[in-house]
Amino acid sequence: MIDSALIPEGVKRCPTWKFLLALAISGAVALWGVYAMLLCWFKGLNQTNMNDYYGFALWIWADLAVIALGGGAFFTGLLRYVIGKKELKNIVNYAVLIGFICYSSALLILGMDVGQPMRGWFIFWHANVHSMLTEVAFCLSCYFGVLCIEYLPLVLENRQVDRVPFFHNLSHNFHEIMVVFAATGAFLSFFHQGSLGGVAGVLYGRPFGYREGLLIWPWTFFLFTWSAAACGPCFTIFITRLTEKITGKQLVKPEVVQLLAKIAGWMLATYLVAKIADTLWWAFKTAPAAGFNFMDFYSNNALYGPWILFTEIIICGVLPAVILTVTPLRERSGLLFTAVILASIGVCLNRWVMVLQVLAAPVMTFDKWVLYYPSWQEVATTILPVAYGVILIMISYRYLPIFPQERELNPVVDSTT
Amino acid sequence: MKIDRRCFLSLGVGAAAGVALSPLPWKLLDDSSIWSQNWPWTPVPKDGAASYVHSTCTLCPGGCGITVKKIGDRAVKIEGKAGHPVNNGGVCIMGLSGLQLLYGPTRVQSPLKRVGERGEGKWKEISWQEAIAEVAGTLQKIRAEGDAHTVAGIMESDRGTVPRLMQRLLTAYGSPNFFRMPSMQDSYEQALYLMQGVRAMPGFDVENADFILSFGSGLIEGWGAPVRMIQANSNWRSTGAHVVQVEPRLSNTAAKSDEWIPVKPGAEAALALGIAHVMIKENRCSGFADQAAFGFDDFVDDEGRTHKGFKQLVLESYSPETVAEVTGIDSRRIVDLARAFAAAKRPIALTGRGRGLTPGSVSDVMAIHALNALAGNINADGGIWAVPEPDYIEWPAPEMDRVAVDGIQKGRIDKAGGSEIPYTQYLLNRFALTAQGKGDYPIKALMVSEANPAYSLPDTRMFQKALDAIPFVVSFSSYMDETALQADLILPNHMYLERYEEVPAPAGYSKPLIGLTRPVIKPLYNTKHVGDTLIGIARQLGGNIAKAFPWTDYESCLRNTISGKWDSLMRKGFWWNAAYKPAPASNGFDTASGKFEFAVTIPRGTDKAGDALLPKYQPIIPEGDIAEFPLLLMPYETMCLSSGYTGSPPFMMKTVPDTVLKGNTGLVEISPETATSLNLDEGDPVMLTTPKGQANLRVHLSDGVPPGILAMPRGLGHRAYDDYMADKGVNINELMGPVEDPVSGLDAAWGIRANLTKA
Amino acid sequence: MENEHHGSKKYGMVIDLDKCTGCGACMAACMSENNVPFKKDETDKLTSITWLRVFKLSNGKPYPDSDICYLPRPCMHCAGPGEHGHSPCVSVCPATATDYSSETGIVSQIYTRCFGCRYCMAACPYHARYFNWWDPVWPDGMEKYLSPNVSPRMRGIVEKCSFCFHRYQLAKDKAYSEGRRELEEGEYQTACTQACPADAITFGDLNNPHHKVHQLAQPDPDNCGKPRNPHAFRLLERLGTNPKVYYLSSREWVRRAGDNYLESDGTSAAH
Ligand SMILES: Nc1nc2c(c(=O)[nH]1)N[C@H]1C(S)=C(S)[C@@H](COP(=O)(O)OP(=O)(O)OC[C@H]3O[C@@H](n4cnc5c(=O)[nH]c(N)nc54)[C@H](O)[C@@H]3O)O[C@H]1N2
Ligand SMILES: Nc1nc2c(c(=O)[nH]1)N[C@H]1C(S)=C(S)[C@@H](COP(=O)(O)OP(=O)(O)OC[C@H]3O[C@@H](n4cnc5c(=O)[nH]c(N)nc54)[C@H](O)[C@@H]3O)O[C@H]1N2
Ligand code: SF4
Ligand code: SF4
Ligand code: SF4
Ligand code: SF4
Ligand code: SF4
Ligand SMILES: [Mo]
Repeated sequence: MIDSALIPEGVKRCPTWKFLLALAISGAVALWGVYAMLLCWFKGLNQTNMNDYYGFALWIWADLAVIALGGGAFFTGLLRYVIGKKELKNIVNYAVLIGFICYSSALLILGMDVGQPMRGWFIFWHANVHSMLTEVAFCLSCYFGVLCIEYLPLVLENRQVDRVPFFHNLSHNFHEIMVVFAATGAFLSFFHQGSLGGVAGVLYGRPFGYREGLLIWPWTFFLFTWSAAACGPCFTIFITRLTEKITGKQLVKPEVVQLLAKIAGWMLATYLVAKIADTLWWAFKTAPAAGFNFMDFYSNNALYGPWILFTEIIICGVLPAVILTVTPLRERSGLLFTAVILASIGVCLNRWVMVLQVLAAPVMTFDKWVLYYPSWQEVATTILPVAYGVILIMISYRYLPIFPQERELNPVVDSTT
Repeated sequence: MKIDRRCFLSLGVGAAAGVALSPLPWKLLDDSSIWSQNWPWTPVPKDGAASYVHSTCTLCPGGCGITVKKIGDRAVKIEGKAGHPVNNGGVCIMGLSGLQLLYGPTRVQSPLKRVGERGEGKWKEISWQEAIAEVAGTLQKIRAEGDAHTVAGIMESDRGTVPRLMQRLLTAYGSPNFFRMPSMQDSYEQALYLMQGVRAMPGFDVENADFILSFGSGLIEGWGAPVRMIQANSNWRSTGAHVVQVEPRLSNTAAKSDEWIPVKPGAEAALALGIAHVMIKENRCSGFADQAAFGFDDFVDDEGRTHKGFKQLVLESYSPETVAEVTGIDSRRIVDLARAFAAAKRPIALTGRGRGLTPGSVSDVMAIHALNALAGNINADGGIWAVPEPDYIEWPAPEMDRVAVDGIQKGRIDKAGGSEIPYTQYLLNRFALTAQGKGDYPIKALMVSEANPAYSLPDTRMFQKALDAIPFVVSFSSYMDETALQADLILPNHMYLERYEEVPAPAGYSKPLIGLTRPVIKPLYNTKHVGDTLIGIARQLGGNIAKAFPWTDYESCLRNTISGKWDSLMRKGFWWNAAYKPAPASNGFDTASGKFEFAVTIPRGTDKAGDALLPKYQPIIPEGDIAEFPLLLMPYETMCLSSGYTGSPPFMMKTVPDTVLKGNTGLVEISPETATSLNLDEGDPVMLTTPKGQANLRVHLSDGVPPGILAMPRGLGHRAYDDYMADKGVNINELMGPVEDPVSGLDAAWGIRANLTKA
Repeated sequence: MENEHHGSKKYGMVIDLDKCTGCGACMAACMSENNVPFKKDETDKLTSITWLRVFKLSNGKPYPDSDICYLPRPCMHCAGPGEHGHSPCVSVCPATATDYSSETGIVSQIYTRCFGCRYCMAACPYHARYFNWWDPVWPDGMEKYLSPNVSPRMRGIVEKCSFCFHRYQLAKDKAYSEGRRELEEGEYQTACTQACPADAITFGDLNNPHHKVHQLAQPDPDNCGKPRNPHAFRLLERLGTNPKVYYLSSREWVRRAGDNYLESDGTSAAH
């Protein structure tokens, strides 16, 4: 293979043509997204189906979802470096990579979502400390910096890069201090995951989203962090398993996956206790105080029925939590896979509800439910990060030693490749 | 020097770090945001000295005083003129949007001659000299052929110097065919003439009324002088006046009233007579009916025949029980209403459905006007006043040559004022029929100024056919409206913010008042005051016609005509007789009996033995077969839409709710009950069919319309003008047709039968 | 006057719904005064910029018991809970592009600072905020009527009713040039107030007992300005947004339509 010099030693990779073909396909999808993105930048947000009732829509949902799913990075990092779950070093690289993809996508989407991208930096320059978005912006950018730093050593471990002594040493030093970054990352993540939850939670004009809370933070602040910590690792496991299916190789030892899944399961279970308590408090205290019946938010419209709450909390919450916490269930590969998928869907659904349904539910008595569907430009630009993620994973997987256990689990007979 | 990989990578990283630390990216960041704050394609309005011009709005017959704010030579805002007797600082949505007409894309910017097919919109710019010569030449030719009477003129109004110049031109030329656009004005004037013997305009002293009984009038929806009426309505809230709205549909006026009487469509006059019945039976009438009126009791005419008086007629035929059946209003309620009306100190009963855009039946107006007589509020405070026609135009009658005399003698093509219909002045509703060869003679030329009949007359298709049959059509419009689009020549007038003109008598206003509209800015385009154009045409026609127009230009004509009041007009923007009070009823009336006539016996000067004409309920049957068209379509008016003059500029279009217009599709209001029976849901596409035409619409379910009724606003569905107005919804006039009032020949249609099917 | 001394104003509005005819003059006056742009199709109300929007309310009863009422909705210039200026929108704007003035009580909008994140729109339950989805385009020549007092907004940012703040500035300038510190009630009036033919809108300083708005609404200073006039109400009072636009109606169903109530809340909450 012409790129064999770049491929880590002792592992087998698909033929270059296959790789390039897959790259081309993903690239085409990404280009479609880039085209849509350029349309949005040059023609303005009239290219979307957003409107004055839906100032936030698919993109902000995608942002929140992607950041929740990317939560595997900070939480696995926390477990690995701060709490000291050493086994997780075998999956933390991938978690970091997935996190990096998720967060860079989030930033890209934000860059499209604002009406005046060229003034995006005003959020830092003219920062309003009361705004959850300010908190999001600061923590998100800082944490993205952390993710870059966490991802960088991995890049430096590329066979060719590693040859350069400077990079080799740099990489080594990074590893030494990674605990600091992991801790910083966890701290920052706690706040931006939380402040993303706060985005809807502080909207005291929007009874569907509004929550009481602790000090300046509404309960959603903590719920978002918690759910990201629970579901982010699930997504990491899901992508790991997916990668394993696609490559046809085992890349991470089952013990590692089991450990992470178990922790995620307990996080999810405890999260659900909190979430259910929050929902009940909101339904029976907060909303009625504003004059709303709980069912007002789930009726008189074509989409948002009680099913959505049931799906989020029971099917995509309680069910995977049970599977992941009960060892015999978790150890069944099919069930585990189902559970991490459900958990990932659950957190996405939660983010959807906390963005879209917040805006869809009428507040003034003479207002009406407004439903929304995205334009193709929004869809294309939302798929763009997916395509970009696939590309980055393909490249990273091919050229970087993402999975430390790959060699051990897949001994290559003919080492000449 | 060999650059190895290490060196290359280091350089790259170094360069990146260097750039990041340099001011360059930050400067670029800053500059790009500054650029985004000053996008060259986002306009920056030029600043300048502010000044104010006081003028009068002419966009409707409301006659409001306006103050136009200017920055430099640009007009930037229209506001109501504080202290003006009509509107005291208030202004309506239409008046506020005037600048969008002034600067808008619908202006005709120079005289135009048609080069394509009619209506195709292909024009050639010509000079004013050519344009006037062309009109004069064609008129000259028609005259030479002995067909002077076949030239017609249509204008919105017949009051004021400009309409009078047009009338004068036609008269001196030899045509009797001047037309005023139809409205309530026609039937009210006729009712006043028949019952009170005056050629006068009704003035409604609404400010002083304490009980307002409105038979379908859109008191806050453009009826009369719209701003004045809305202000009066607010005032009623503080004075505690009681407002009763008699109307089938829950209009805004009905919703704002203290009491809404949801009468069956078309049965308003029956209710009025039911109220009269109760008042008479319970002896709740003022002394006026007995003392100052004729025909209340039975009477004997000159030839000894006994006639039934109003009292007997009403007692026999309009008991609350009978009326309840016709109107759908509970008889108890009728009695209560009558008692409340009679008990009020200064009650007033008035009519003119909606904005009064259709004349309506003269019998209806008489029945309702009779209530005022019973209450004794004719020419009284808070009542209805006969306001004399403005009399400042004292031009000597034009000298007529033989051709002119011959022409006039041929008679009007609509036979208005003839022996069958002696009291009606104009019957534009017959114009379409007669112009199609069904009249005594064909129309060979038509001049239209300040009117858009091709849009606003009911049964527009028919009017279009009439236009097609007229060889020469001239428009004086400032805007490319539907009628102008059908013209052969357009001689564009200055629009109202660019010209001098007096604005006589705001509609329904109780005191004589003349406003002055004056140039706020210099004319933007190569336009000409229509007064000057008419004078120019007359000059070229020469002879007696030219002699009838001795003025050098319109402005001097206006100044001379209005001479005594010119100073006041220039200084204050209006002239009025603030102290005006009509002669009290005790002075008697100018009728044959010298009294107010419930029974109109003697049309003055003619036909002394004519049958008694009593206010009766004569139902006007809407056109259409009930089996084929089981539903009824009724128009309504909204302040958000202009139903005449110029269409609705963007400001107005923006306020139109999405339950009236969505995209380019209009919505028709139906009751949920009717919708269910037709298996229709909110927003469903439908085909609406009437005997006059059909249209694709969507349905809007509304609890405000009675079952079986379809309601649609006037003012949509323009085909001319610009993209901001054209092709939006349906022009209801394309679906409606006139129904002649048996008394006056005027259009009395209040609806038309219709059918609705899922599309 | 105590308030006049320390100069803190609380400009607000009282709209009498018994008088409002739904004529839309206020909407047009606002558009004309504030250079609000328009498009060829304005029937999609979800993208139609109307700083002031007249809503149509109905009582939901069938014919002929049906009733309607119009409700003009400018920006409420919410003071937020406890009048600390934490309006729903102001508190969330990350770039301080919208601010609460403690001097006037007016919620400002800085077009050149707003970067179009639309968080404020999500926060406002009144839909008083509008995004410029398109570049504003006036038909050729029509830009001549644009007022120099209010800058036209560019694409990609949010705009809303300013209580015609430029009129306040002009009035202030004039007063200062005449050596006065205080404005008379009539000196600062909004364009919609001025235009309304029904005289349904009253504007003034809610803190000033001599001003008509104060007398009409009778705001309770101990209760975040809750109206004491039994016919007055504010929209969504219960959310604690603390609006400075009050409504008057003699009709119970209209007052009740101003807020959300549970069946168990009874009728007293709506006066
Ligand atoms: N928003 C909006 N408002 C509108 C319109 C619009 O398109 N949009 N249209 C406007 C138009 S075109 C019209 S015609 C009106 C409807 O206004 P209408 O109701 O058609 O006006 P009239 O019927 O003329 O006024 C009522 C009565 O006033 C009498 N009257 C007429 N002229 C005079 C006069 O000079 N002096 C006195 N004292 N009384 C008079 C008439 O005889 C009539 O009986 O609505 C106007 N208002
Ligand atoms: N079925 C039905 N019949 C109606 C009506 C209706 O709405 N429906 N309305 C009735 C009533 S009340 C009226 S007033 C009439 C109105 O009917 P029209 O008078 O025919 O209708 P408008 O559209 O008001 O016509 C005025 C035209 O004058 C032009 N115009 C406006 N300003 C100027 C100017 O400054 N200079 C020149 N040269 N032209 C100008 C514009 O092009 C405008 O189209 O129709 C009457 N008949
Ligand atoms: S009511 Fe009539 S005259 Fe008065 S401002 Fe409106 S359009 Fe002009
Ligand atoms: S202008 Fe006045 S009456 Fe008309 S809609 Fe506005 S507030 Fe109501
Ligand atoms: S009404 Fe909306 S935009 Fe206005 S201050 Fe309140 S929350 Fe902000
Ligand atoms: S859209 Fe503008 S004003 Fe609104 S929150 Fe974002 S930056 Fe602030
Ligand atoms: S106060 Fe001024 S900006 Fe606000 S709605 Fe009224 S006119 Fe518009
Ligand atoms: Mo008219």
